[in-house]
Amino acid sequence: MTGPAFDTPVPPAAADALVASGIEVAFGGIKALAGVGATVVPGRIVGLIGRNGSGKSTLFNCMTGFVRPGAGRVTLGGADITGLPAERVVRAGIARTFQTPRIAEGADVRTAVLCGFFNSAKTSFMGSVAGFGAARREERRLREEADAVLEGLGLADLRHTEVRRLSMGLVRMVDVARCIASGARFILLDEPAAGLTQAEQETLSRQIRDVAARGVGILLVEHNFALVRSLCETVVVLETGRVLCEGAPETVARDPRVLRSYLGAVGESDEQGEAAA
Amino acid sequence: MTFWANHRNTLIAIAAVLIAAPFVASRPVWLDSAVILGVYALLALSVGISYGQAGILTMSQGAFASVGAYAAALCSARWGWPPFTDLVLAMLLPAVLAYGVGRVVTRLSPLATALATLALGSVISIYIRHADDLTGGYVGFAGIPAIGFIDTPLEYAVLAWLLVIAVVYGYENLMRSAHGRALNVLQQDQARARADGIDVARSMSAAFALSAAIAGIAGWLYAHYVSVLSPESLDTNISVTALLMAVVGGAGYVLGPIIGTVLFDTLTRLLPAAELQGLFYGLALVVILLVARTGLMGLGEQLIGAARSGLGRRAAPAAGLPARAAS
Ligand SMILES: Nc1ncnc2c1ncn2[C@@H]1O[C@H](COP(=O)(O)OP(=O)(O)OP(=O)(O)O)[C@@H](O)[C@H]1O
Ligand SMILES: [Mg+2]
Repeated sequence: MTGPAFDTPVPPAAADALVASGIEVAFGGIKALAGVGATVVPGRIVGLIGRNGSGKSTLFNCMTGFVRPGAGRVTLGGADITGLPAERVVRAGIARTFQTPRIAEGADVRTAVLCGFFNSAKTSFMGSVAGFGAARREERRLREEADAVLEGLGLADLRHTEVRRLSMGLVRMVDVARCIASGARFILLDEPAAGLTQAEQETLSRQIRDVAARGVGILLVEHNFALVRSLCETVVVLETGRVLCEGAPETVARDPRVLRSYLGAVGESDEQGEAAA
Repeated sequence: MTFWANHRNTLIAIAAVLIAAPFVASRPVWLDSAVILGVYALLALSVGISYGQAGILTMSQGAFASVGAYAAALCSARWGWPPFTDLVLAMLLPAVLAYGVGRVVTRLSPLATALATLALGSVISIYIRHADDLTGGYVGFAGIPAIGFIDTPLEYAVLAWLLVIAVVYGYENLMRSAHGRALNVLQQDQARARADGIDVARSMSAAFALSAAIAGIAGWLYAHYVSVLSPESLDTNISVTALLMAVVGGAGYVLGPIIGTVLFDTLTRLLPAAELQGLFYGLALVVILLVARTGLMGLGEQLIGAARSGLGRRAAPAAGLPARAAS
């Protein structure tokens, strides 16, 4: 007897993958997710697309410990991490950005990125208070690393700018920087390119590719299909809490169901994106 | 150079103490006040870390101080420990207590956490009253020895303010570290903190433990200086006063609590009658909550900011989006 799709063994190549399978989430009777799965492999970029309200962010929340799924499993390298508290998911090596960025009042760009390094800081709480040489050296190292991350994303000049003074697009970019800073093996980006200028989008794409080239697996929610096509090898299409189809961007783009459900709706912006590219 | 940049508050505190020292030293009465003021400054700083940084509205600092004070009394008067060794216990005991309680209560809402700290303070003071064999019950302790060679009010005043400066230094170190940033983040947005990998309950508890240890130092100093100790010495009134001092000065700022302490002390001295004290405290709290929720330091910062942007408006273009094109 064959079980449901999510019971099939993970292919050997993906032994250290981040896998969500059979995820179900209901919000007061409304099923936001009804058996959704997605696999992210180290070094690869997977796109996650679908109309507004199709459940993309909810899937993110399930994979990062912010929402406990009603059914289904999330595994990391085979280990079950379903329902683990969010902070422990991050420590296990999965970081995320928020669709609506969460900004700390008054923090400048570098401080925001420094916050992302919380996990790689070795000094203990009391060690930080004592402020001995090791603590000071670590702080200096973190600052250098934060600057390097900002450099990569073209944000170096904004280091000392308050985050709340940035455009929404750049705030998202700072969030991506914070995510990269965590040193996670898997990064989940929720519409990171929304509100960015063309030039900023290109910087972001380049950085996402660089990060993936370093062996980080990336799950990318993005409405701009041209961007998805240029970055992703695989795309998962969601519709009202189900996986509509999954495959290479070209295959997905030709799928009549996808055209009807999703791409038709965003076709215009897609054409614009391609025209600009 | 970098020390100045990283430890501005420490240097300001040192400078202020050095400037005040000659005046204070000229009058024995003022020296006595300086010691007590130092004890209060330590307590207010402990509130700053707990409330200003970790968001725990603490009503148990007086109780933590009394744990430190009783540790000092027991170790030195009864068990004859060498000077300063009792300080370790005076810090450790409140810290362990605070950490344990913190792990449980920091999961609650801010109000419930505040009430839990109030309850903790009451439990500690009830225990002290009733553990006759250990604490001397209602009678308490007398003849707590001085701290080794430190004997005169001048020496105590120097020690008190050295401790204050040391605490400011450590506080500043903390706020420039990953743990300090974590406290900043979790106080504003717990989901954001968790996405950074911050264990919220653990970070808050660690800050609460540090704050309790500092209150323990205050109690230790108080016990040795005054040399008598009873359950009334460091009660809930002290907790509330320390809280007010910190909030009025600006609990979120490193030096805010110290400014609040000095201001409160000066104003209560000017009051004609001690009965007016309660009225004055209430009034101070209402005014701060209405006019400047971030305390005097926050008010000062706002005024400076307003003055700057007022002056700068003509000289520079409005500070909307930073000049990205120019960079
Ligand atoms: N906390 C919540 N409480 C109730 N309903 C929710 C909650 N979060 C999401 N939903 C519902 O779940 C469904 C999926 O929402 P989700 O945010 O995951 O969609 P999305 O694909 O990310 O959409 P968008 O493109 O607009 O970001 C929607 O119908 C939404 O209204
Ligand atoms: Mg979404």
